[in-house]
Amino acid sequence: MRTRLLAALASAVVIAAVPACAAERPPAESGGWNDTGEVTYWMWDANQLPAYQECADDFEARNPDIDIAIEQVGWDYYWGRLFAAFVANAAPDVFVDHTSKYGDYTSRGLIDPLDDLIARDGPDLSQFVEGTPDLWVGDDGRRYGLPKDFDAIGLFYNATMARDAGITPEQMQNLTWNPQDGGTYEKVLARLSVDVNGVRGDEPGFDPHHVATYGLGIAYPPGGGSGQTQWSFLSGTLGWSHTEKPLWGTHFNYDDPRFQATIAWWRSLVDKGYMPPLELAVGNKPSQLMQAGRIAVVTEGSWNISTFAKLGGVEMATAPTPIGPRGTRATMTNSLADSIAAASPNKGAAWKWVRYLASPECQSVVAQGGVVVPAVSSVVATAEGAIGAQGLDITPFTRQLHEGTAFPYPAAQHAADVDSIMETAMERVMSGSADPSSFTAANQEVNALFTQG
Amino acid sequence: MVTVDVAAPAGRIPAREAGRATPGRIVAWACLVVIILITLFPFYWMLRTALSNGTTLATAGSSWLPVDFTWGAFRRVLGLATLEEAQAEGGTGSAVDFWVYLRNSVLVAALITAGQVFFGALAAYAFARMRWPGRDAVFFVLLTALMVPPIFTQLPNFLLMRDLGLVNTYAALVLPFFFMTPFAVFFLRQFFLGISREIEEAARLDGAGHVRTFFRIIVPMSWGPITTLALLQYVQAWNEYFWPLLVGSERSVRTLTVALGVFRAQTPQGNPDWPGLMAATLIAALPVLLLFIAFGRRIVDSIGFSGIK
Amino acid sequence: MTSTVAVPAVRAPALARRTRRNRRETWVAIGFVLPTAFGFVVFYLWPSLRGLGLSLTDYQFFSETSFVGLANYQRLLGDETFWNAMLVTVEYVVLNIGFQTVLAVLLAVLLHRLTRSVVVRGLVLLPYLVANVVVALLWFWMLDAQIGIVNQVLSWFGLGPISFFGSESWAIPTIAFVNTWRHLGYTALLIFAGLVMIPRTLYEAGRVDGASEWQMFRRITLPLLRPVLALVLVITVVGSFQVFDTVAVTTMGGPADASRVIQYYIYDLAFERLDYGYASAVSVVLLVILSVIAFVQLRLMRADESDLA
Repeated sequence: MRTRLLAALASAVVIAAVPACAAERPPAESGGWNDTGEVTYWMWDANQLPAYQECADDFEARNPDIDIAIEQVGWDYYWGRLFAAFVANAAPDVFVDHTSKYGDYTSRGLIDPLDDLIARDGPDLSQFVEGTPDLWVGDDGRRYGLPKDFDAIGLFYNATMARDAGITPEQMQNLTWNPQDGGTYEKVLARLSVDVNGVRGDEPGFDPHHVATYGLGIAYPPGGGSGQTQWSFLSGTLGWSHTEKPLWGTHFNYDDPRFQATIAWWRSLVDKGYMPPLELAVGNKPSQLMQAGRIAVVTEGSWNISTFAKLGGVEMATAPTPIGPRGTRATMTNSLADSIAAASPNKGAAWKWVRYLASPECQSVVAQGGVVVPAVSSVVATAEGAIGAQGLDITPFTRQLHEGTAFPYPAAQHAADVDSIMETAMERVMSGSADPSSFTAANQEVNALFTQG
Repeated sequence: MVTVDVAAPAGRIPAREAGRATPGRIVAWACLVVIILITLFPFYWMLRTALSNGTTLATAGSSWLPVDFTWGAFRRVLGLATLEEAQAEGGTGSAVDFWVYLRNSVLVAALITAGQVFFGALAAYAFARMRWPGRDAVFFVLLTALMVPPIFTQLPNFLLMRDLGLVNTYAALVLPFFFMTPFAVFFLRQFFLGISREIEEAARLDGAGHVRTFFRIIVPMSWGPITTLALLQYVQAWNEYFWPLLVGSERSVRTLTVALGVFRAQTPQGNPDWPGLMAATLIAALPVLLLFIAFGRRIVDSIGFSGIK
Repeated sequence: MTSTVAVPAVRAPALARRTRRNRRETWVAIGFVLPTAFGFVVFYLWPSLRGLGLSLTDYQFFSETSFVGLANYQRLLGDETFWNAMLVTVEYVVLNIGFQTVLAVLLAVLLHRLTRSVVVRGLVLLPYLVANVVVALLWFWMLDAQIGIVNQVLSWFGLGPISFFGSESWAIPTIAFVNTWRHLGYTALLIFAGLVMIPRTLYEAGRVDGASEWQMFRRITLPLLRPVLALVLVITVVGSFQVFDTVAVTTMGGPADASRVIQYYIYDLAFERLDYGYASAVSVVLLVILSVIAFVQLRLMRADESDLA
């Protein structure tokens, strides 16, 4: 009985396998160009939701035949849910897109290029902060989004601790760094580290294994392939870049000695007791550790400034990233944009909404919300003021865009695979189980993704 | 293994577990108390966190009492707090339609449980007590469903729901679980196997068919295991997470567990709203808890004489 | 309580009408099994076959799909991450089943021998009422290396800090502990139900013979508990091979793949790296392994027979 049944099962498998293959063809949905109806809009940042809801209300008042339905989905679930929605033909008409992700959507034809629409209806791309529109030109040379905001990396530090350590705000604004001795950046981090006996990191007798307050915080996971907030602002000052060209590169440079020296210095902070071992970072957020007094400085993105401004019980301040051996700073900058789903039936209405989202009218509302800095140049000052009014100065972040020391997020194909390989490699190195030279092997694995097609 | 050594004097039956404080019993009680403490402490911690203020929580990570006491988190979850209030206490701008999600969860879990228990009992009886060709083979094949990793079936099932046009409907949430869960069949079959055949044979002699024997004799006799199973499956359905996230993310059909996700990190590397999350968890567990309080005694009591009495 | 030995004496008269009755019995049985079979075919078998089919392709959702034969399986043989994931999963299963089964039997026996209190039994089931994802988050926070309450308590004894989730050697035991915490009450309740079905007279007889509690546990409880224990083991072993939620919301497979269990690897391949064809191949291999384990287990435990019937 059992053998007969198994035989039947086996033949069923063979029969089923063939039509199953045939059935998994990509859906040939091409959407429609209705100018009216409901436009669903997804975004992840709940802090910005109120401002965008206001934009939607204004937009609906001007376009009575279009309804905007905003859905906010937390970052942790955003991409999984979005992808599932695309598979289910239930994708939002418009959604907030990220530089590291939209390559996945363009290569599958899931979002529409906007070139023709922009040529017809505008906007003039010069209204945006320089460089931000470029991030949204895909590797096929077509434009997939209008930038809505931009970000940069900087330091958040505990002002009380700095004062107690005798470090002035001026010092913090002019830190220097090099991969050999770490410059004044390392000196400050040493000074701010305090062991359980109250001995500072730059004093004799400091116990690096029993530290009460670490100079620098580390986030888990430690940066993947981009190192956006963790190390890219250091390696950038050495003239190193992730790929052979800023955007859509096909060859990564993790085998470069400059990159490996940066990580080697960064890891040395752990042995010196100026930064917690990576394993202690699993599970907590730097903002929580800052509040608990466990760390004094953290390198973070400007998008989190309102989180730090709202931290109760600690006095915070901001500073720019350190100046490298070549005399300049460096920061990775990234920009979000709104993309239109190719399968949307209301692409006419969706485009009107996207166009409005990128307009100075909507972005001035966002600017007053005081969470992010819009990419529309005319409202940048408003946003800086609104954010400053909450207690933290954002100009240490934004100045790098004015000074021309910002470089774009290294958008590339195979981003998820690159991240996956580099994440593991980075964790091995930072936990001490592998040497920074192991990145050379990881780099080969990464570059193989591009040569194998 | 700790032994509970109650040496009985020969020839006399000791009073039933009378509370004599032998060393063994003390150790046993101590074990039980420790297990219960470890079980309960996280719940206290949840409550303590839910009553804390999110913006100052981490300043006193080891405080045994709520940090900066506030009802704010509960008000946020129930949608009573204004946006400003919520943001001032570390909450977010996202709204929670708590009552809608509650209704969805109750409905979905109840439907799933009803289907699973009813169909599961029928099948379990056929496997445990009826003779038919291929029974064991079919049971074996059915058991393999236990081994199928959910992630393996969920995506094809998701594609199926899409093709049927059921994504974001209650039907999609319920259907894959409604007709069977291998566990229900397996669980009830084990209990049915334990029922003495005499009773059934007696009923059969009285001319009762299988259907009547099942509904009139087996089901009433197995009320304990059936209620237990129902409760377990209800909890399981209530806590189901991945599938509802996949097919029921739209607001109108979103269940509580999916809604809980709203409270997790909203921005990359952002601070999660811990008090909000904990308050939502407590509130989400409340309906199941009430159910358990209501039926718990009956379940525990009835298990005692199911099967062989 | 009736006697525990079923006497099949009443079967003789039935023999005459056997054939006719058997045919009717078969039809009734098919009717009983039908809904379950339908659910199995549509929501388990079909998607599994579809997955099996996809494992022979390079399906990536929206791109053109082509048949690649066994290439995915070939790739799997040389995939270090896969073998590491298998190893990590086995380590988790051994630890989880170890903790859980021993503790659950202990707890069930304690409950059975010490107290009739429904309240106590209810308390131990409490963790099960909370969704897996939330339990994971809660412990993730309580066990945090720097600001968690558990490390705070440890530091009072001069211990730690232990990075429960962050260190490569602690991650898997910690995840096993967290899941044990949630499931302990549930498992204990299942075992407890089995304990209650053991006739009290056996213990009374044991006492009369002067047996100690430990002897009675070995000679009476364990053997008679076997069917229930078989059920529990099959469910928990297979279930713990499918550990996913806890990893997904805590370590995300880290640090350095130390907790990249097989299910999470599959999820990562399918939903993050969108390599669904290969993810299906890994699932198929997992499915085969699980089936073999369950089959062997069922055989070893002789779950088909109940010592009570």
